[in-house]
Amino acid sequence: MARPLTRREFLRGVGAAACGAALAGCAGGENASAPAGPLRARPHPEAEAWKNRIGLARGFADPAAGVRTAVEKLCGSDGVRTFVREGDLVVVKPNMSWPQPPEMGANVHPDIVAEVVRLCRQAGAREVKVFDNSLASATTCYEASGIASAARAAGAEVVLCARHRFRTVRFDDPRVRNLTEWPLYEDALQADVLVNLAVAKVHNLTHVTLCMKNLMGAQGGDRGKMHQGIHQNLADLNVVVRPTFNILDATRVMIRSGPGGGRAEYVVRADTILAGTSAVTVDAWAADPANLPWPKGHHDLAAVEHVALGAAAGLGTADPGRIEVAA
Amino acid sequence: MPEPRPSRHPLDIARVLAQLLFLALFSGLLLWTARGTPLAQRPWLAKLFLATDPLLLAGAALAGTFTVALLWALAVVALSLFAPRAYCGWICPLGTLQDAADKLLFRRCDRSKNAAPRLRQVKYGLLVALLVLALFGVGAYGWFDPISLATRSFGTAVLPMADHAGRSALVAAERAGVPGAAGAYDWAVAHHLLAQDTDLKEGRRSLAATWGWTFTAILLAILLAQGYQRRFWCRNLCPLGALLGLVGSASPLRPRVSAACVRCDRCAKECKMGALEPAAGDMPYRGIVQECILCYACARAMCPVDAIGIRFGSPRPLAPAPGVCPSRRAFLGSAAVGAVLGPALLLDRRSRAKEESSPGAPGLRPPGALEPDGKFQAACARCGACMRVCPTNALHPSGIENGIAGLWTPTFVFRIGYCDYRCAVKADDATGPVNLCAIVCPTGAIAKLTQAEKTAWQIGTAVFDRSRCLPWARGEECLVCEEQCPVAPRAISHETVQTANNDWLALPEDQRYRYEQLEVKRAAEGLTSAEEKELAAMPPKMRLLALPHLLPCRCIGCGVCENVCPLDGASGIRVERLQTGAAPGSGRGKGQGAGPGPRARRGRGGK
Repeated sequence: MARPLTRREFLRGVGAAACGAALAGCAGGENASAPAGPLRARPHPEAEAWKNRIGLARGFADPAAGVRTAVEKLCGSDGVRTFVREGDLVVVKPNMSWPQPPEMGANVHPDIVAEVVRLCRQAGAREVKVFDNSLASATTCYEASGIASAARAAGAEVVLCARHRFRTVRFDDPRVRNLTEWPLYEDALQADVLVNLAVAKVHNLTHVTLCMKNLMGAQGGDRGKMHQGIHQNLADLNVVVRPTFNILDATRVMIRSGPGGGRAEYVVRADTILAGTSAVTVDAWAADPANLPWPKGHHDLAAVEHVALGAAAGLGTADPGRIEVAA
Repeated sequence: MPEPRPSRHPLDIARVLAQLLFLALFSGLLLWTARGTPLAQRPWLAKLFLATDPLLLAGAALAGTFTVALLWALAVVALSLFAPRAYCGWICPLGTLQDAADKLLFRRCDRSKNAAPRLRQVKYGLLVALLVLALFGVGAYGWFDPISLATRSFGTAVLPMADHAGRSALVAAERAGVPGAAGAYDWAVAHHLLAQDTDLKEGRRSLAATWGWTFTAILLAILLAQGYQRRFWCRNLCPLGALLGLVGSASPLRPRVSAACVRCDRCAKECKMGALEPAAGDMPYRGIVQECILCYACARAMCPVDAIGIRFGSPRPLAPAPGVCPSRRAFLGSAAVGAVLGPALLLDRRSRAKEESSPGAPGLRPPGALEPDGKFQAACARCGACMRVCPTNALHPSGIENGIAGLWTPTFVFRIGYCDYRCAVKADDATGPVNLCAIVCPTGAIAKLTQAEKTAWQIGTAVFDRSRCLPWARGEECLVCEEQCPVAPRAISHETVQTANNDWLALPEDQRYRYEQLEVKRAAEGLTSAEEKELAAMPPKMRLLALPHLLPCRCIGCGVCENVCPLDGASGIRVERLQTGAAPGSGRGKGQGAGPGPRARRGRGGK
């Protein structure tokens, strides 16, 4: 009869098996993932009817009040309750991609994120998650922007993106023209309500970066490759990723050296907050040099092609005459 | 019939406990300080073992790069005066690892035939050669120093591999739907037990550069060499062990064999250091103070007649016993090897500095690295601590591109990471050091910089490779490098130019001809509305394209641009050592408002 296993031999075997499993895990690659279904995020019932409409708040006492005003202008006194139902999973995607303090204007103001989180919690959200696939180290950006602590204090779970939780999504909508698929963060895919929270900045390639471009923070993969044919790529991304509602923080606008900035004097106050169900329409209003203090001669609305392309895909309007501003 | 093993000496048990404690401390600190967080308050935590290493002190003193922080090593010197090589037996993590490997792998291995007493002289020759090399400013002692070696192997190979294995296991479990796996992953990342992988382009902290495997192989070789002799490394090769043994030569505490010895030869066979051996003369056996690591395994347990003891007393002859150290001729020979190699390595470094086979790579040192590079190489202990804590995994061991003597000194691999503009900046402190690499550097080879100094420090200068850069080479829009340049105002700008439109170029010849005809006609006499429509329906001949340009007077060579360039493979913009210096009138910071006045750019200016 065979000798029974000694403890030592057994441990050796377990160790070898563990090493083998780990190696197999390495070989499998962390990015391998099957294409997932489209977004779960529930569009607002009036989304189609409201797609040319924005809520505008100007000259408010503090950013939090501005958020409430803008949302109420958009959808009446019910405010965020219009979008968020009892027990919803709400995912907020603010721009917190830059390791800079709030006064640099590179990230959404922490008070605005906190207020959105608070409003969603009050509307009965089961859970509010806040994430951004930041450019620099996520921990640094989350903390330096002041957003992580503000959002946590308001009752949100702040999520550090993990590479293996991006899901490759097929961009098979007929309106998509360039992109075929892209990995998106699973929280953005699983949300009942997806809130797009952007900050207004100039951008060296796309002239301005507003709500439409902010959605790049939900993307994984090699985002540098979005920049070849960026306007069409952004329109394609916005066809697939449809936030339930968008809020644009133009309390201050970065007017130089965007989107990175890095100096407080690159930022001017504008005391404006927009809300809308269509990122395209919000961007069309905000990109208009008549509405925000963009530098003179920096761009005109027609130059911001991704807005026009998004409007052409039926996501909103790029025609200033057709935007219904509720102020 | 085997007799029951006698009880162990209490100090033997204490020694094992101390070994485990120090190994846990060593690896725990490596793991904990890799997070970077506790470093700003308690930087000594990261260099506890390295700063108390007498070999690094000796090397730095001879190489002229002495810093006061290394004086902590005098504590170990003082210990060794009275307890020679107790450091090796009780403290050294590499020694403990060897003992553990020996217990696990070679317990039943009979190595009593492999005494090879002459082999142990090698370490003295190595020590002498390394110290002579240090005199020439060659920091080769860092390659062989056991603490440096352990820090390097653990910090840049073993721990990253463990990190990756742990991550892969958790990810696999999460994929398989094991309950709790996702939560465990989040918990581990939140507590910095796993590196945050989205921060790292390659996702494998410190492993992406090829040396990680080499360091693992070296560590394995050291552990497996015990199949020949226990503690093979400590007996025969370790230069620190040689140094501590020599320091402790006059120690009153030493292994002693009494007259009761019955010459059973068991101690000579069992001593893991070969520190007990048959002797000529009046004593049948002798203990060698330079070899004994005071492990106390011989006392009580080994000798059947209790003739061995590690005791204080006399005699304590200062000169090593015959056959312990190499002959005077061998000593001189080792020194001569060092004296020949030293200048040769310096010449090698100078000639490689101009070599073109590795464009851009040489000399991209961490911010704050001593200047000129020769001084940095002399001071660097090659311990890899900077690589371990680099928050973006940008620092990696260099190969021989900085000269053979520069092997394993830190260099930037910007395709993997970049020098974080803020690194360890805290909101509430503008005066503290912000470069983590310097905070953990045990030898001061990297100077601590404040935020103002760090953001002005010029590592190198970026250069566009117009044969690869997307706008320049292929006419595609991009500007990702400009977008993410962290310097304010940015060191990359762009001009918008008219360029040929590929869609137009792709038209059939006859349509292109028609297009040009219409254009000419429009200029000469104007077009009819039908013709206008026809022209508008065709893709325009020219289009606008933004071409990036580098402003060398602003660039600090942090490598973000090289890192984020969306090209696969080599980047379209590279940081090279090429320096621009602070030309008059071009200084950064001038007239830029809130900055602290004109900042002098520091770096390896033009050397």
